[in-house]
Amino acid sequence: MTNRKTAEVWVGVFVTIGLAALVWLAFRVGNLTTTDVANGYRVEAHFENIGSLKVRGAVTLAGVRIGRVVQIHTDPDNFQAVVTLNIDGRYKNLPTDTSASILTAGLLGEQYVGLDPGGSEEYLKEGSRIKLTQPAMVLEKLVGRLLTAFIDKPADNGKKK
Amino acid sequence: MESERVPAPAPSPGSDSLVELRGVSFSYNTRTILDNLTLSIPRGKVTAIMGGSGCGKTSLLNLIGGRLRPSQGEVLVDGQNVPSLNIRELYQLRKRMGMLFQHGALLTDLSVYENVAFPIREHARLPEAVLRNLVLMKLQAVGLRGARDLMPWELSGGMARRVALARAIVLEPMMIMYDEPFTGLDPISMGVIAKLIRELNQVLGITSIVVSHDVAEASMISDYAYLLGDGRILGQGTPTELQQSTSPHVRQFMDGLPDGPVPYTYPARNYLDDLLESRT
Amino acid sequence: MKIFQTLGAGTLAAIERLGRMTLFLLEVLSHAGMMVKRFVLVVQQLYSVGVFTLPIVLVSGLFVGMVLGLQLYNTLVKFGAAESLGLVLALSLLRELGPVVTALLFAGRAGSALTAEIGLMKATEQLAGMEMMAVNPVMRVIAPRFLAGVIAMPLLAALFSAIGIYGGQMVGVGLLGVDSGAFWSQMQNGVDFHEDIMNGVIKSIVFGVVVTWIAVFEGYDAVPNSEGVSRATNHTVVYSSLAVLGLDFVMTSLMLGEI
Repeated sequence: MTNRKTAEVWVGVFVTIGLAALVWLAFRVGNLTTTDVANGYRVEAHFENIGSLKVRGAVTLAGVRIGRVVQIHTDPDNFQAVVTLNIDGRYKNLPTDTSASILTAGLLGEQYVGLDPGGSEEYLKEGSRIKLTQPAMVLEKLVGRLLTAFIDKPADNGKKK
Repeated sequence: MESERVPAPAPSPGSDSLVELRGVSFSYNTRTILDNLTLSIPRGKVTAIMGGSGCGKTSLLNLIGGRLRPSQGEVLVDGQNVPSLNIRELYQLRKRMGMLFQHGALLTDLSVYENVAFPIREHARLPEAVLRNLVLMKLQAVGLRGARDLMPWELSGGMARRVALARAIVLEPMMIMYDEPFTGLDPISMGVIAKLIRELNQVLGITSIVVSHDVAEASMISDYAYLLGDGRILGQGTPTELQQSTSPHVRQFMDGLPDGPVPYTYPARNYLDDLLESRT
Repeated sequence: MKIFQTLGAGTLAAIERLGRMTLFLLEVLSHAGMMVKRFVLVVQQLYSVGVFTLPIVLVSGLFVGMVLGLQLYNTLVKFGAAESLGLVLALSLLRELGPVVTALLFAGRAGSALTAEIGLMKATEQLAGMEMMAVNPVMRVIAPRFLAGVIAMPLLAALFSAIGIYGGQMVGVGLLGVDSGAFWSQMQNGVDFHEDIMNGVIKSIVFGVVVTWIAVFEGYDAVPNSEGVSRATNHTVVYSSLAVLGLDFVMTSLMLGEI
């Protein structure tokens, strides 16, 4: 039988480095530390189309992540998507006329909400609603618009909007 | 073996058989191994179970130890019917039984000392010093106290069996079953084992059941013997009585005759027919 | 016809075997509480099961990571996406290769060793001897080994993934010139703790249970001679590898389906 003390030491080493690897993976490789939004307040935004935005998608201001999408559902009255955003408490001075757009990030095409601050002197707070929104770009509609633009052009001479 | 201050177990009232089989039948697949067998093992004595290979000697030990269930009959050990015990009761009973397997069955990852200490560690909470004394005493009894730090693969066959014996007696059981203790040993080692079996029985009063097909050694150490064959008892009695028996079964076994009730020739077709067939 | 009879008998035998395996597992689990009291036994087994498998896991992890680095770079660079190397490498390892390859290595090294050891103990009557000494071999021999396997697997898988990422980084950043900052930042932004890391850990725990379960059962059930033990060892490696790959598909579809 192997010396009990040696065995126990090695097992201790093994378990320690195994757990350390798990911890390293969680923090350094994954984004465990950055999932929490501190002292967040919730605002709503209504979109015509949210594209492939998902719950836990990012909310950014000038490209910096300041919050997370916490809920997505539809408004039965006006058939629009209602997205609830949880914004970090540090960013208390977002003007009420801030606009929210759904943008696409990077190669893998994950969608997120980008905020563009307005100029109002009143600020968004818990329960506020962002009124200016830009829907997500849906590829088919873009192509459709492009095609109609080409088709309408020659026949457009007499027709003015 | 040095004399030890171990008190002899108090004689128990009631029957003088420690183990009794009543009408026990046992089959394996379709083969009947034991057929309506009735025998009894007297308390405090050495009883030999002899017989040819495959006559059910080892199955008998397994039935007594509760590892096998008879299809019929009762197996009584110290008054308890083994097949009817639940797991906990069975384990309680087994603590009072010792068993010596044919090759010792020592745990290969433990040293000799640890092997003998194993039953104590598993069943009792003894301080290390007391445990140590107990283990050393038992090893001394089998003459292997100096070998206590060896590993099982460093032991010869005879030594391994002696260590297993020390382990079997460490909890001071009321009975020990020996499965072919003499098989495969040189004459000296056989003598050692025989001496130990006899002494354990005389000094500690442990009922011993010796399964063996070594007629000479078994006869020397046992007080009573059974000869099994065809699933039943072919003969029984003291070794002297068996030696003088006139039954052909007993004679063939005791004298080691190649042919007799157990035939030499395996059942086959007519010899001439077999040979002629190979020519066509 | 004879072939149907054989098929039928074979299927019935397989089902009966599966039933026995499950009852065996339940018996092993019933001793789990006792194992907490006798943790020394588990520690001893962790040594022979976990620590001894460590070298092969580390070396394999390193090489797999390095090869992945090369292969992924090769494809990504064609799409102008070489900077995503870190992300794709991490996802491949954490979600799939870490748990699965580690489980296969574990089955081959530790699983077969467990089967052989238990099978030999059966063949040399050590298990029977324990029974006659009123010690339950399932509690004393099997349960510690089972627990050790279940504990060791996720740790080994994590180590595999970690060292694989390191190997991929060595190749990608060191040899192929991917920007180090981009490598790590894309990875950290894209790897989600719950979906990628936790799912990988869950997979490795499930694999640990299945591989160790098959390994100890095959040993315990082996025919007690040398041929029987050899066949049991063979079964362990083959069945647990197949089980791992099959379960991987099932779990992956369940996990991805939640998204």
